Amino acid sequence: MPLSTFSSDARAMPAQKPTFYERHVPDIRWGRTLVLCLFLALVGFTAWETGMRSLGLFPGDLGDGQGHWAVERRKIDTSDQDAVAIVGASRILFDTDLDLFKSKTGLRPVQLALPGTNARPFLEDLANDEDFSGLVIVGITEVSYFREGLGLFHGALDYYRTESPSRRIGHRIYRALSRHLAFIDDGYGLTTLLERIRLEERSGVKGPYDDVWKISVAGADRKTWLWDRIETDTYLRDHARYAWDDFRGDPVSTDIVDTVIDSTRRDILKIRQRGGEVVFIRPPSAGPVLVNERLRAPRSRVWDRLIAETGAVGIHFEDYPATRDLELPEWSHLSRDDARIFTEVYVDVMMGRVDWLRQRLPEG
Amino acid sequence: MLFNSLTFIVFFAAVLGLHALPLPWRLKKFNLLIASYLFYAAWNPPFVLLLWLSTLVDWFVARAIYTEERLTRRRGLMLLSVAVNLGVLGYFKYGEFLLENWQLLMGTMGIDFHPPSWSIVLPVGISFYTFQTMAYSLDVYLRRSAPAESFTDFALFVTFFPQLVAGPIVRPTQLIPQFATPRRANINQIAWGLGLVTLGLFQKVVVADGLLAPAADKVFGAGQSLPFGDAWLGTLAFSGQIFCDFAGYSTTAIGIAMCLGFSLPNNFRFPYAAMGFSDFWRRWHISLSTWLRDYLYIPLGGNRKGSLRTYANLLTTMLLGGLWHGASWTFVAWGGLHGIYLATERWLKRRFGGRSVRPVATRIGLVLLTYLLVNLTWVMFRAQDFPTAWRLLGAMTGLATGDQAVLPRINVIIVAVVIPVMLLVHWLMRERELEAVVTSLPWWATATAWAGMLFTIVATQGSGDAFIYFQF
Repeated sequence: MPLSTFSSDARAMPAQKPTFYERHVPDIRWGRTLVLCLFLALVGFTAWETGMRSLGLFPGDLGDGQGHWAVERRKIDTSDQDAVAIVGASRILFDTDLDLFKSKTGLRPVQLALPGTNARPFLEDLANDEDFSGLVIVGITEVSYFREGLGLFHGALDYYRTESPSRRIGHRIYRALSRHLAFIDDGYGLTTLLERIRLEERSGVKGPYDDVWKISVAGADRKTWLWDRIETDTYLRDHARYAWDDFRGDPVSTDIVDTVIDSTRRDILKIRQRGGEVVFIRPPSAGPVLVNERLRAPRSRVWDRLIAETGAVGIHFEDYPATRDLELPEWSHLSRDDARIFTEVYVDVMMGRVDWLRQRLPEG
Repeated sequence: MLFNSLTFIVFFAAVLGLHALPLPWRLKKFNLLIASYLFYAAWNPPFVLLLWLSTLVDWFVARAIYTEERLTRRRGLMLLSVAVNLGVLGYFKYGEFLLENWQLLMGTMGIDFHPPSWSIVLPVGISFYTFQTMAYSLDVYLRRSAPAESFTDFALFVTFFPQLVAGPIVRPTQLIPQFATPRRANINQIAWGLGLVTLGLFQKVVVADGLLAPAADKVFGAGQSLPFGDAWLGTLAFSGQIFCDFAGYSTTAIGIAMCLGFSLPNNFRFPYAAMGFSDFWRRWHISLSTWLRDYLYIPLGGNRKGSLRTYANLLTTMLLGGLWHGASWTFVAWGGLHGIYLATERWLKRRFGGRSVRPVATRIGLVLLTYLLVNLTWVMFRAQDFPTAWRLLGAMTGLATGDQAVLPRINVIIVAVVIPVMLLVHWLMRERELEAVVTSLPWWATATAWAGMLFTIVATQGSGDAFIYFQF
């Protein structure tokens, strides 16, 4: 008898008492169906994996996201007092070679920078962490650091604080699979690729072509670098440049600069009171991106004030001949080779100017 | 843990392996119980305490009701069960909502009331298992069934992981008897179960999240008035997304249970082929609509106390059904609209007679009209607030359209292809069962379709988004 939910047939209807029944299984030859299904699926997976490798994806690109970030953040919780943490946006993330840093200083930084994300809450988080007394390297992209919004990964701290056991385990499995399968990549899912089919866009609509596509590769410990296809593939490089939209936008207001410097100074004070230190680094940018950044956040009004009013060591790429003319294929991030040069230069400067680091350098 | 997560694949493989071992049935049930607690704890371990509270209260209350003859005592015990279950639900789900509305009410009376901030995390699936356990005590109170004989069976009924967090809301008489005797799936059941799991995940990962969510998110996230076409396309996309998300979960749950040898009831029956709203509610979230009918609509008097009272009962039931979905007035409005639809349909049937409609064109017309009106309710369901809902409804009715489109051309194409295909499938399957269709297909066609779904799920990867109904 069909159930008559809220129907007019329900007159004097007694409450239904659903009873247990056995579900029917379609009467087909399941053995051969299952075998053919698995065979066809396997053929499909193999073809897909091969296709993705031919596009430049490779096993060992572990990707990035809030789960990856949470793993690194927990390293701060369990680290000794000599922890070095990097916060910032994508430039300091891409432009720092963690292995080189470790080989020069004996300390491997914990990479906490997040693409498209304001570094301030993460600096504040470390400042409020009573157990942290290490060195914080803050990568400065002025238009990201001096703004009200938090950006792309605004939920990273909440995620780290509330990450469920299920997500933690899932993340481990994801990383294990990523070491062996190239196709596991957020930027190359089937429906993501479908959305990227180039069509004439409707007037005034921002479409998938306007989004930032895959530009990076990540290994263990979130060691991240610019994907080599951005250097070698004209279409992808041009797209990446297009997606940045030349960093156009409104100038950074004086109010924001005042507020941010004020809160940054407070955070630095907290970290220094525990014996830690903070260093600011301005990685390179180039082309129209740099032109617009200079217009929106002139050095004298933003960077110079930040360094002067916080009393922290500041390393600006324009101040060092070796980092002025590095290669930035899409104007915002260094090529992998030049990221090594930049790391080498800024670590050398820090080793000379930052007491916290100098005191911890291995002898000889 | 989410069905569409890597963690679940490992978990399920382990559970399936354990269940296949030649162990005593009691031990297997114990394994399933532990697995279910682990499944729930994987979100937030302390919330397992809520499951235990619900289990213990209803276990003891139902037994006491069963042996008690005095009506007042029986009623008191029943109310105790309802109070504990609804109390827990109210605290976690509606506390903030009540506080906000109290603050507003005080404000209208000129009282400046500032409640402390309410930062309570909502336990996943609490509305589902609360209703399921409450049904157990209510059934015993109404003498529809006897209490379970085994505590393990009852605890497993409350906690059974395939349907714990998003249904189907299973009745005691449907599930508890299945725990009484050893159950193990044969190879055909496992294959069909895995097929259902694949179909459910395909609906969720590929169709709901991959194809339709981007369009729905853009339209409902737009902070401005939209053109007529974009407003409709976004709403149609959401209609497909919510169906594939929720029906996908139910299908996966049914498949998982079947792999373990258990039968769960259907929760959806191709609802977008419904002709009218009583038909829609016989096809959409069946386990909730029948629950509301049996434990709310009928106890309120159903249709036995005159026309006016029947309309009032319909409206009350649907308003509360809306509130069940979420602590927001937009959900209440969604339920209210469905209540009005049901009442209007009932009035029309009484006025013009409930003649069966034969011409196909008329039937298709009625299906499309029902679908169109259901879409208007989805605006209330999905919009984060009333201003957004009014803006969208204004654009959809042509009363307040905007100039600036927000949907990229590719999303327009995807919605324009996927939604008609979905409607066609619902229409073709309106009077049929999936099992019958699979039986009638050549085996290689089933295998190919299955492999295609498996491949697209893996290639789509998915972002591990939670099922929409988890928040309820």
